Amino acid sequence: MATEFHNLQELRHSASLANKVFVQRDYSEGTTCRFQTKFPSELESRIERKLFEDTVKTLNNYYAEAEKIGGQSYLEGCLACSTAYLIFLCMETRYEKVLKKIAKYIQEQNEKIFAPRGLLITDPLERGMRVIEISIYEDRGSSGSSSGSSSVSGSTAR
Amino acid sequence: MPGFSGGGVGGGVGVPASAPPRPFRPSRYVPVSAATTFLVGSTTLFFCFTCPWLSEYLSSVIPIYIAVIFLFTLANFCMATFMDPGVFPRAEEDEDKEDDFRAPLYKTVEIKGIQVRMKWCSTCRFYRPPRCSHCSVCDNCVEDFDHHCPWVNNCIGRRNYRYFFLFLISLTTHIINVFGFGLVYVLHHRQQLDTPHAAVTMAVMCVAGLFFVPVAGLTGFHMVLVARGRTTNEQVTGKFRGGVNPFTNGCSKNISHVLCSSQAPRYMGRWRSPQAVDVQPPFLRPSLTEAQLEAKVLDNGIQNDRHSTRSKSSLDQMESQSADAEPPPPPKPELRYHGLPRADTEESSLLTDAPPTPSMYKYRPAFNSPGRNHTALTHPNKMIRGESLDSPSPTILQSSRQPSYRSEPSSLDGTTVVGGGVGGRRGGVERGEGPGGPSGTAGVMSGGMSGYSLTGRSYTSYPSSLVLSTGGSRSSSLRSAHTAHNPLATLQSEGTTDTSYKSLANQTPRNGSLSYDSLLTPSESPEFESAAHELSPQKPRALFPSATITGQPEVVSPSSPLQGYTSPFLSAQIAQQREGQLLQGSATFSSPHRAYLRAVSPPPPSSSGLPETQHLLQHNQDSSSRAPRNLSSSSSSPGARSLEPPVSPPPRGLSLGKSQTYIGEAGPQHKPRPTGGGIVLGGGGAGGGQQAPQSTSRPVLANHTTSKPGGGVKKVTGVGGTTYEISV
Repeated sequence: MATEFHNLQELRHSASLANKVFVQRDYSEGTTCRFQTKFPSELESRIERKLFEDTVKTLNNYYAEAEKIGGQSYLEGCLACSTAYLIFLCMETRYEKVLKKIAKYIQEQNEKIFAPRGLLITDPLERGMRVIEISIYEDRGSSGSSSGSSSVSGSTAR
Repeated sequence: MPGFSGGGVGGGVGVPASAPPRPFRPSRYVPVSAATTFLVGSTTLFFCFTCPWLSEYLSSVIPIYIAVIFLFTLANFCMATFMDPGVFPRAEEDEDKEDDFRAPLYKTVEIKGIQVRMKWCSTCRFYRPPRCSHCSVCDNCVEDFDHHCPWVNNCIGRRNYRYFFLFLISLTTHIINVFGFGLVYVLHHRQQLDTPHAAVTMAVMCVAGLFFVPVAGLTGFHMVLVARGRTTNEQVTGKFRGGVNPFTNGCSKNISHVLCSSQAPRYMGRWRSPQAVDVQPPFLRPSLTEAQLEAKVLDNGIQNDRHSTRSKSSLDQMESQSADAEPPPPPKPELRYHGLPRADTEESSLLTDAPPTPSMYKYRPAFNSPGRNHTALTHPNKMIRGESLDSPSPTILQSSRQPSYRSEPSSLDGTTVVGGGVGGRRGGVERGEGPGGPSGTAGVMSGGMSGYSLTGRSYTSYPSSLVLSTGGSRSSSLRSAHTAHNPLATLQSEGTTDTSYKSLANQTPRNGSLSYDSLLTPSESPEFESAAHELSPQKPRALFPSATITGQPEVVSPSSPLQGYTSPFLSAQIAQQREGQLLQGSATFSSPHRAYLRAVSPPPPSSSGLPETQHLLQHNQDSSSRAPRNLSSSSSSPGARSLEPPVSPPPRGLSLGKSQTYIGEAGPQHKPRPTGGGIVLGGGGAGGGQQAPQSTSRPVLANHTTSKPGGGVKKVTGVGGTTYEISV
């Protein structure tokens, strides 16, 4: 039991950042915000390809929606001009609204899909929309066999 | 709640999340103060002195109309002044996985079929996205950089270009209004010109007339730019003079993009929500793919391809090093899942348009992939170090490390020598040149001699050499950047020197040109050119080891400050290091020098005796002259590994002798070189000073070498887009 207790305590902090993968922007269609859907090899063993690609594709769709030039953005611009841009103090722009949606989506993906696999996606907005940063975590475990210790602690934790 | 990003002293830059504080420079505020004074002052005078008469004589709508235009002008002026133009936050440390001296200065992307170059920003530590430029006044990279406007004391970029453009239009309109209605007033008061009202009106008219010409000119200029979808920066630097603009979508779409698109978000000064997601093991893993299963099988020691050797060598590495007293070298920068055919992944990735996904190397200590259970048990660090050997062309390093554990095909032997030798040298450089030099050389020599050179000595002395040597073969894949950073940082001065050390080794194969030449070739001015000219910054870093080892440590520091763009620096380095280059029998970095040498002067035929490393670009003459000779010293050539049987030590000794003769021959030829390098340096120094106006001043050096591979040249693609041609 003492051993279990010890392992449980270790378990709490036994995931540590091992590596980071950066998914770069896809500039093939210009400077509109798109990220490459190419599956990074570092994630080969961590997550299914399809899940990753779906996530990136959804993000791309969100960004395309944010940058869409249409009726809403035009009206926003006219309204802003007519109020000497004071409207920006009260109103949220279309882009900001979509960014909030994206943040929520990323949070949800992290919780449901990535964190259980030891990965975390960072909102690209924090990196200036240049990269999607995926942090890869590993079981820290003891200095011995990492997988062994993690499995032991995992079983005791569960 | 959205609002203006903070203005204040910074002149429009929001709260900098990752920008260093800048000194207060009052001179920067003179133009903007003058502009504000003229604008507000003149208009106020106009309203006080001219408008009362206008409203009663003509109509009261006129002052209202003028006031509306004036307010619109003022609002746009304020937005252009205080709004964040689209500043990129500095990249975090872990994103900068590429070593300063290892990664290329430029990365190419294809935008609508046109090759566009992204330059590495040494201040902000990332490759600048297309249309992004670093403003030297604001010391920030700005998205869709247009120009830095002194009249608003702010950069004009993606976020505030629209306001700047509207400001210009509304200001032109306002000036026309003021001048026009002032003229009406004056014409009606010709007999009362001595009254203060008329005098003031005339003064305001003069100011308006004075500013009309430049403002209207600028407005017209920007109207053309908007219609053509260009930025001021691109227009002024002549990027699209002869070619096609990949960023244009047609006149109407360009205009609507400027005026009607939604306000882009700012990147700086945002609230960072704390990571609320808890990452706890155990982690789910996808089921093993076939590749992984295959790798596991190969891990049992069956050497079929590089992948298996990679994982195996890591195990060997660990075992062989277990007796080492030295601390293990820094783990390889890129952590890869063992057994995965990384080379293939890299290659295929390189062949696509997108740059390969970079991975960070800093968080190595914790990495314990389950596949490496057997290695993880004893020495995780060593395992990681062993991993560092894993690279798309791993064999070079590995076989050199463990002569006693040779179960790999003997054809791999050829690579060992070079790798070990190079590693030793590089390690010497990294560690601080002086003391490292001799030992490194010793390691190189031993490597050259035996072919099975343990480089145990060199290895232990320069653990980083392990990583470095692999890096020699594949420039960007290996990064001992972490450890190398500090010593390198001491070598370099700020800013420009950082960029100068961006090694050019990995150029994307998309260009089709492997060209180590291009490494030696400085970049040309047009940025949207074919990839062939792409490689501008060369690997000055690569030159360092050889320079250092050959006893020319002075080469390292003096050249650093000269670097605005690498080309001049490279030429100088090459000139100085050529001799050192030749001294090393099995130096990976000798090859670039040799390639350069050949390009410049007819290479002595005995040069081919030098064992080639995989990243040697062979020119036609080289390969042709070398091919027959390589047969005798085939093992030394990495390219030969797949073709020729392993060589025993005697041929290596022979090759070493040849290399020495080559040195002797080439010696006298090198003398004139430094002058050429000096000239280049002068040009480079002049050109290197600029930052914001891009690329116009980049010195252009002739591309001496052709990248045409001769017969018997094998292409090897490395990690991070490096492709090497190895003479076979």
